Amino acid sequence: MKKLKMSESYAGYLMVLPAIVIICAVALWPVVRSFWYSMFDLRLNHPAKSAVYLSYKLDMEKYVDTRFYVEGTLKELKENTAGHKGVEAAAVEQQLGTLHNQLMQSEAIASRYEPVKQLLDDFKPVSDATLRYVDLSREKARLYLNTIAEVTERLQALSTAENDAADQAVELMEEFRLSIMQPNFIGFGNYRYYLEELKVHNGKPGRLGMALLNTFYFTISSVFLELVLGLAIALLINKSFRGRGLVRAAILVPWAIPTAVSALMWKFLYDGQTGVVAKFCDMIGLVENPGILLTTRMGSMLSIIFADVWKTTPYMALLLLAGLQTIPVQLYEVGQVDGATKLQRFFKITLPLLKPTILVALLFRTLDAFRVFDLVFVLTGGGPANATETISVYAYKTMFAQMNFGRGATLSIVVFICITLISIGYVKILGADVLKDQAE
Amino acid sequence: MEKKAGIGFYSFLVVFIFIVMFPFYWQFLTSLKTPNEIFTTFKLYTTEPSFQSYQTIFSVRPFAKYLYNSFIVGSLTTVFAIVIASFTAYAIARLKFKGKAIILGVVLAVSMFPQIAVISPIYMLIKNLGLRNTHLGLVIPYTTFALPLSVWYLTTFFKKIPFSLEEAAKIDGASIMQTFTRIIAPLAMPGVFTTAILVFIAAWNEYLFALTINVKDEMRTVPVGITMYVGQYTIPWGELAAATVVVTVPLIIMVLVFQKRIVSGLTSGAVKG
Repeated sequence: MKKLKMSESYAGYLMVLPAIVIICAVALWPVVRSFWYSMFDLRLNHPAKSAVYLSYKLDMEKYVDTRFYVEGTLKELKENTAGHKGVEAAAVEQQLGTLHNQLMQSEAIASRYEPVKQLLDDFKPVSDATLRYVDLSREKARLYLNTIAEVTERLQALSTAENDAADQAVELMEEFRLSIMQPNFIGFGNYRYYLEELKVHNGKPGRLGMALLNTFYFTISSVFLELVLGLAIALLINKSFRGRGLVRAAILVPWAIPTAVSALMWKFLYDGQTGVVAKFCDMIGLVENPGILLTTRMGSMLSIIFADVWKTTPYMALLLLAGLQTIPVQLYEVGQVDGATKLQRFFKITLPLLKPTILVALLFRTLDAFRVFDLVFVLTGGGPANATETISVYAYKTMFAQMNFGRGATLSIVVFICITLISIGYVKILGADVLKDQAE
Repeated sequence: MEKKAGIGFYSFLVVFIFIVMFPFYWQFLTSLKTPNEIFTTFKLYTTEPSFQSYQTIFSVRPFAKYLYNSFIVGSLTTVFAIVIASFTAYAIARLKFKGKAIILGVVLAVSMFPQIAVISPIYMLIKNLGLRNTHLGLVIPYTTFALPLSVWYLTTFFKKIPFSLEEAAKIDGASIMQTFTRIIAPLAMPGVFTTAILVFIAAWNEYLFALTINVKDEMRTVPVGITMYVGQYTIPWGELAAATVVVTVPLIIMVLVFQKRIVSGLTSGAVKG
């Protein structure tokens, strides 16, 4: 019997394994990575900052390539200048030569030099990262950068006209300087930057503060409206009537279509020129002119909230309806016999028994609303003037429009922390019962 | 509580359904209008329907390709997620081992993860694997994020299958694998099917990963492809409407056919019992 149990738990772990491995690799590990990225000045469109560098690195491709041109230019400079300037050029050449020898003392650099040179001579890129980048000690990197700075100064003094040999050499020194990848670990630098964006300046919060306010405003209003309307609809249709199936199908359709598509639909309906909803609001005097809906701060925020309420209230109603149907009818009958009014029955029977369902529905909806992206991104793009920019949209723009992954990751960690806090809050209220039930 | 539905009730229903369905009707109408009509009238009907917009979406942009991509990505995600989640759910529902609550907790926590918090590392991962602009590049993250809810739904369904059947199989000498494939799997088919519908719809509708990972026009999925019709200065409303109709009609049919299953699936997580 003991052996049987062992094999059963063994089989259990084996069956759970694939899901756990995938979830760890593609969901949990990325969160850790996001946090890691948020500690770096990581910009995909910046050649020296497009990866995570913990130490100084020498870009061999750039160094070897630049060195080839530097040799040529310095030779030209030496030949074409007489007197003390020629001596100075020779001294510069010697200084760079010494630096090169010091670099070549390192086995890692010496062994890579020839292969890299060979590739470059064949006009091939150095695509192997381990061949291309070499770790440099802090001292070596300092020495390198100091020497290049000194040489640059000396060359600048030699330059007499724009674009002469000395001037070209100065430009090449800049290339030399960029051959060193500086460590881009900045600790909590990105977080400090965003802390500044949280503060209020001249009565206006910074961009992050605004994005957080927008997100909370959207989440609270849309979830509240959806709960109230959803509960009302669920209570109303919680009876048998003709055409129930039709109503249920109608309810499911907005839920089933892609959010991006529904956002486009509403973009058309709200459009100042061709939008029928905008026209209607104008006709009944709700707005001064039909253009207001998508071009003003208030109008666009309310438009987004309404579009969300339209799409998800039916879903909310469906969840609550399922909860209502689990309440035994007898309870209401007893209540009626005891003389409870309709209102009393709602507050004393329906609400308490529906509480778990309401909480679960609220949890799902709050989390969904807080990470809202598609709806805002497609409907307004966060505009006008960032008036509807939510934190997810801000993070997306930072990452994929500015290509600043360090800052973007920082914002996404802020979203993650907010979501975690919200979940913990709900789970505390809900209790861990739900989880325990399922696991037993 | 069971009352007869009266006139007031039905008028409420009519208003409710009108609000829910009006945007769809309007899209359908717009898709049949000529551009001139779209910009000049707000009539609730059209006298000269034209199929120009439908022709344009399939000829100017690779809309058929978008549909194909979405279909492939959705199907593969569904198959992978269901297979992997079935094993996990079966183990949690039926087998005795330690740490089940922790596993379920982790799985559920992942369903709450904001996608934006994982998008940059996943983007890097897919890029490094050379899977950008491929179907697999989307299937990997989609499957991962479909797992939590699939596991949850399937666990609920598996639990409803009477335990005695398995006991009988055990006594007859069936192995765990045999019990799973011969007894549980056939009985769980309805639940598996319901979960599959939900996973497919979620994959079909996903936007953020599709937007960032597949940027080549011919590799885009429907939701992203449609939003790319919107130009900097002009928006071809007629074509957008036609595209919306093409995407929505299959979903409406699916919802009509499977509504009972979808509702039972959606509510199984939220309601005990």
